Amino acid sequence: MSRITLDPITRIEGHLRIDVEANGGKVTNAWSSAQMWRGIEVILKGRAPEDAWSFVQRFCGVCTTVHAISSIRAVEHALDVEVPLNAQYIRNIMIAQHSVQDHIVHFYHLSALDWVDIVSALKADPKKTAQIAQSISDWPGNSEKEFKAVQDKLKAFVAGGKLGIFATGYWGHPAMKLSPEVNLMAVAHYLKALDYQRKASQATAILGGKNPHIQNLVVGGVATAINTENIATLNMERLIYLRTLMEETRDFVQKVYYPDLLAIAGAYKDWFKYGAGVTNYMAVPEFPEDTKNTKFQLPGGVVMGGNIGGIRMVKDHRDDYLIKNIKENVTHAWYEGNGTLHPWDGETKPDYTDFKENGKYSWCKAPTLDGKPVQVGPPAQIMAAYAAGNPKVKKLVDGAVSTLGISMKDIHSTMGRLFCRGARAHVMADLSLENLDKLIANIASGDQTYANHTVIPKGEYRGVGFHEAPRGTLSHWIVIKNKKIENYQAVVPSTWNAAPRNDKGEMGPYEASLMGNPIADASKPLEVLRTIHSFDPCIACAVHTVDPEGAEITKVKVL
Amino acid sequence: MQVLIYGAGNLILSDEGFGVHFVRHLEKHYQIPENVELYDGGTLGIMVHFKFEEADKVILVDVVQAKGEPGDIFRYEREDIMLKNIPVKMSPHQIGLQEMLLISEMRDAPKPDLTFFGIVAKSLDPGDQLTPPLEAGLEKVAALVVEELAKVGVELKRKDA
Repeated sequence: MSRITLDPITRIEGHLRIDVEANGGKVTNAWSSAQMWRGIEVILKGRAPEDAWSFVQRFCGVCTTVHAISSIRAVEHALDVEVPLNAQYIRNIMIAQHSVQDHIVHFYHLSALDWVDIVSALKADPKKTAQIAQSISDWPGNSEKEFKAVQDKLKAFVAGGKLGIFATGYWGHPAMKLSPEVNLMAVAHYLKALDYQRKASQATAILGGKNPHIQNLVVGGVATAINTENIATLNMERLIYLRTLMEETRDFVQKVYYPDLLAIAGAYKDWFKYGAGVTNYMAVPEFPEDTKNTKFQLPGGVVMGGNIGGIRMVKDHRDDYLIKNIKENVTHAWYEGNGTLHPWDGETKPDYTDFKENGKYSWCKAPTLDGKPVQVGPPAQIMAAYAAGNPKVKKLVDGAVSTLGISMKDIHSTMGRLFCRGARAHVMADLSLENLDKLIANIASGDQTYANHTVIPKGEYRGVGFHEAPRGTLSHWIVIKNKKIENYQAVVPSTWNAAPRNDKGEMGPYEASLMGNPIADASKPLEVLRTIHSFDPCIACAVHTVDPEGAEITKVKVL
Repeated sequence: MQVLIYGAGNLILSDEGFGVHFVRHLEKHYQIPENVELYDGGTLGIMVHFKFEEADKVILVDVVQAKGEPGDIFRYEREDIMLKNIPVKMSPHQIGLQEMLLISEMRDAPKPDLTFFGIVAKSLDPGDQLTPPLEAGLEKVAALVVEELAKVGVELKRKDA
């Protein structure tokens, strides 16, 4: 038996340690440990509720927008504030564009190198690469000339010894299976993808005033002044520019990312068999299209025990079952005691003990729904949309099932997770444009309202802000007392997925997903990275210190 | 000449947020010419490659885990980063500065002149204030940036000067 410690897992946000025990080339036990404390709840106590959205954006380096949205919704829910349609559409576009940006970066920059062998691309025939690329997409950037140029560049870098910078890449690993041509295609698109994630960021910044960290939220709406005649506000010229950016990004997602994903999935079909983990799922509805958050463009749902047919739909953000049954347990987390608390009563009292595999071993609490661990993320939302008969999702999923020769239950897997994220990006790109059309039509109808000015009243109020973020269901829970924040807890997607064991000893989704995973070479545990990266891990606590002396970036310890 | 002054860090982990406090400090106390952009990059990694690609001169400000006392300031150039004299990662666990610059080179993007000022942190605990040695570092780094920009003919004057 060997024990492998990966610390930290690279290409993620935050600091995550994964320990696995391997026996006979397979994982037989696993622990997920968040190595940083997020003390935001402590900072927020006593502050003004209307400012919380601005603070919580600094939770994370990547998902700044999502925390702002959840936070503002929590205050609006607590005070029962309606949000004007223009504000909902503007928020929807920012949410959708953030998702598009996040999914592109995840696929190409954070996870592709688990599947794509850069060095193998040197052996590719650029002409054949172009033929393959053109056979799966009519995107204009797939010429032999483009692929040749990327390959020449790569050759120069390899000759100059510069590829060593990608120190965490497992080139030549026996688990790498793409042909040199597909590898070259993926590398070329990896470089191109940066331009499109940028366009999505620009779209968010046009509406949000700034990116990262949008500046345009207020309790009751947005601060994005609308006046089609005024150059200083959101006017027709800006809206048309937004459309251009969003159309270009949509084309990249639908004609490059999605076909690349299917090509990679087709070559790694065995990965539809590994990595299921916890098969309880949760998604909340997203993209409100009325002022009271009762009607949504995409549904939510709860699946228990992998039973997709038995899904319990979640209609809106006032769902009592979710509000009552989301709790957090700290038996194996570095907080005082071993209790289970509802987030409105949540505590953040650190109790660090070092890594104790049978005791406390993570800064992540273990969230539960109805007492059970739950996986969140794109698979949950895709399942809910499929169950609700969303025509676009149905077409994408049915198409992939038939093209790849898989079945619906294969969605519960490492590759299933990557597939659902790609399908979600496809849907998000279209929804961005749909919401822009709705915004323009609503402004054209004469409605220029963008905020219901709200003053925080005296008294005690409790609210929850649900948001279906790129990594899954996010909820911010606020208790307001006499105009100040009395308590604040964020139950974030990565807390659900990276959770340690709960009070019943049940594993969290990362841990469970590694069980039975193959390990070809214990000193290069690529297979662990593949499964963990498929969740798009993001430990919500961003630290940004440059370490000029730490030559050893990632430690893989094999005992 | 387009100059980017990039402040990196997490504003709610006390000294971790030095880069962001720094760009705010410059904004408050200095007259910023039109060709100089102050950028609060938070903790974005590769997602901000384009900010580097668009500028002719980049000054990056961040905390650094170097041997020294809190508030000590270190200076690095592009060559230090690219030649692996220092294996700089924006954080040890994500795509780093080196990787980002390398990817930009692969994309044939223009290479900006890059200077990196790193300061040694005292505390990374939750909090939105800098500790005294880092607070004192704001003006020290500002003086270094003024000097650095003067070399390329860009003048940064204090508002009260």
